[in-house]
Amino acid sequence: MLLRYIARRLAQLAPVLFLISIIVFSILHALPGDPVQLMLAGAESGSVTPERQAELRQMMGLDDPLYVQYFRFIGGAVTGDLGTSVRLRQPVSTLILDRLGSTLLLSLGGILVAVLLGLATGIVAALRQGSWVDTASMVLANIGVSVPLFWLGLVLILVFSFELGWFPPAGQQGLRSLVLPSLTLGLVSAGVISRLTRSSLAQVLVEDYMRTARAKGLPEHLIYIRHALRNALVPVLTIVGLQFGAMLSGAVVTETVFSRPGLGRLVVQAILWQDYPLVQGIVLFMATSYVFVNLVVDVSYAWLDPRIRDGERAA
Amino acid sequence: MRIALSSLVVLGAVIGCGGAGNDAGVPGEAHLILAWDGSREPATLDGHVEPYQPGWLIDSFIADPLVVLGPNGDYIAGLALDWTSSEDARTWTFTLREGVSFQDGTPFDAAAVKYNVERILAPETQSAEMAAHVGPVARVEILDDQRVVLHYEVPWVTVLDAFRRVPIWSPTAAEKWGLAEFHRHLIGTGPFLLDEWVPNDHVTLVKWSDYGGWNAISRGGPAHLDRVTIRFIGEQAVLGNVVKTGDAHIAMNVPSTYIEDYRDSDDFRLITGFQAGSGLSMTMNTRNPPLSHLELRQALLYGVNQEAINELLYDGNFLVTDGPLNEIHPCYWEGNADYYPHDPDKAAALLEGMGYVDRDGDGIREAHGVDGVADEAKLELRWTVLHYSEIGEAVQSQWRDLGIDLNVEVIPGPVQLERVNQRNFDLMYERQRSPDPMLLDMVWNSAHDVVGGWAWGGFVDAELDATVGQLRTVADPKTRCEIAKRAQKIIMDNALMLPTLSEPIFYAVSNRVVDFELSSEGQFFFLHNTRLEP
Repeated sequence: MLLRYIARRLAQLAPVLFLISIIVFSILHALPGDPVQLMLAGAESGSVTPERQAELRQMMGLDDPLYVQYFRFIGGAVTGDLGTSVRLRQPVSTLILDRLGSTLLLSLGGILVAVLLGLATGIVAALRQGSWVDTASMVLANIGVSVPLFWLGLVLILVFSFELGWFPPAGQQGLRSLVLPSLTLGLVSAGVISRLTRSSLAQVLVEDYMRTARAKGLPEHLIYIRHALRNALVPVLTIVGLQFGAMLSGAVVTETVFSRPGLGRLVVQAILWQDYPLVQGIVLFMATSYVFVNLVVDVSYAWLDPRIRDGERAA
Repeated sequence: MRIALSSLVVLGAVIGCGGAGNDAGVPGEAHLILAWDGSREPATLDGHVEPYQPGWLIDSFIADPLVVLGPNGDYIAGLALDWTSSEDARTWTFTLREGVSFQDGTPFDAAAVKYNVERILAPETQSAEMAAHVGPVARVEILDDQRVVLHYEVPWVTVLDAFRRVPIWSPTAAEKWGLAEFHRHLIGTGPFLLDEWVPNDHVTLVKWSDYGGWNAISRGGPAHLDRVTIRFIGEQAVLGNVVKTGDAHIAMNVPSTYIEDYRDSDDFRLITGFQAGSGLSMTMNTRNPPLSHLELRQALLYGVNQEAINELLYDGNFLVTDGPLNEIHPCYWEGNADYYPHDPDKAAALLEGMGYVDRDGDGIREAHGVDGVADEAKLELRWTVLHYSEIGEAVQSQWRDLGIDLNVEVIPGPVQLERVNQRNFDLMYERQRSPDPMLLDMVWNSAHDVVGGWAWGGFVDAELDATVGQLRTVADPKTRCEIAKRAQKIIMDNALMLPTLSEPIFYAVSNRVVDFELSSEGQFFFLHNTRLEP
């Protein structure tokens, strides 16, 4: 039953990805400018003649009709060939794989921070509702949600790198260089997870089966772990998955502030260069990743809560 | 909680697997760490393909060029000891060093030069900037192992300026790796070997122990540094602090807001470099009124006080530029300095003389009988830039006192290109960087006023075209500079552009670094003799 559910969800992905590819392609080509001119615009001196620019445009296939360019792109994408970067002159798929490790590492670090902090503060707040601990946790969660990433990153660099010298301010050299970017990325999501955990757990704590568990004489810690948390964390799991998907595709600011060689930084460069194949390839990859993470979340949700797949079956 | 623990395990596993490169180096080795603005990272390290200076600079550590632009602005020996050109500048002969080998052990000779020239010009290389610099070579003739002749289809006077940039790669290595992979396996004759490039993170070079000092800059033998790491920093605040915090020994292009931290320090020094060229100039669109009026263009020039802007915005650290070439350019015309001194009264008189008067008392002049301009039309202009908008804002304030309403607009690069292609601008940012005066031809010869060309202003003048056109055929440096000076006078007579400032390149350097040498082009430097004291 679960397999059929997964198959149905996978089938729904194709039109989504097709639409995304059309939207990205259209937006990119609607932008002003020309990749070849842009590639040469900041060069030392404008010595490349318009004739040579036209030759380059032709060599790179940029003067083909748009529909030809689109079908070349989508035809290749289906077979795993995302084309060649205009600027970097390398296969887009190779460039994505080169950067993926860094982004994945950062996203894992970020989600770890988010889950640990978010769950801890959310649980404490729910168990101590109305107390100063609850208020403090929720204030911190709200701050986490509201603070701009770049500002948070810079403050962390200022304090922990420049003042205390504990962590490197930039680059990707080992575990120490992962701490500050993970904290930056994770603190924002921690706020979201914390708030959701608190409200979800608070709802569960007043359910009838909690009272029944107490009436049966179960120890408090078992009641919380077996009955309260297990039920309260189902919606939290969805948010964790979505946050992880967002991190995979949205670590742009964090990667820039901490000078990390990830996909986010690459896509920003690609957009500035108007490197059509590279932007299209990365966006399609990010969208696919996000959709798949969502799928995994949905499937695990269905696995955890049989009512969901039963509901689908009934529908 | 289970998710958190699982993530921790995965994270540990990924970190344990190594992840990206590490620049920690070996304890005790002389390991120089350079911090660069992340936006300056090259797209490829192969200078035959890469159109930007930072790539060529990295190449210069790995491969010596044929000629070197030295600290004094002269061309000095690189892999070529001597060079001559025919009178018509169609034939250039290079005499090469003997006994030079590439880092892969293969010999450097005339055949290697031929291979490199042909590689740059081959269509499949898709070289844009470097191929344009090398020019239309008809054939490369090998006289013997140490002499090579370039035969050009047309007079090509900028050969030395081109070949100071061209890295000479090992033909064997370039063939082995092919175009797609060679940029990660560069092999030259320079003092450092390419060890690793992790894009968006760092480039690591290691000392080549067999280097023979084949460059007039070198004091002979291998470099003193064991390892050099260039780290690309994405955040300006980090770049401004990394030398201070000990995370790098040298930071290049330090933002001006951080330079005071380094200026009077016992532990660091601030080195300032400038680059010959046009500076941050504003090209005026002379096609349409009101900028088609010479009096207005002249009034704009008289109305700007650049010294005040430099003091106000940059504490005087930028270089005031007063003509089409900045004053550090070898062909700078001294007459520029006094041509349009700051004179608001003269500017106002010029505006009034052409019919721009503020009759409604709102502080902005209106046209009254200005040829081609509707009566009552306000004197409004657009100042279009990619960056350094603060200069425009300062000019806005100065011109406001003259009754001119200046709108400063900051646009991204693609939009600038679109506007330029449509010739839809009043004053448009332009910056050309080169110690060769040829840039005057590219920017001011109306023959290049085409889409994709660089002559945007729309000014057509036979005398100016003929004058700058000579820069393509006259080889003698002195004569070229005389021509360039004549061209500058014509440009300033016609007030075709508004010079502003030239931006410096600030280097924050730890005092542990010794013999760090800048080229006469502030964006280039040499590490041949650089040492790192304990």
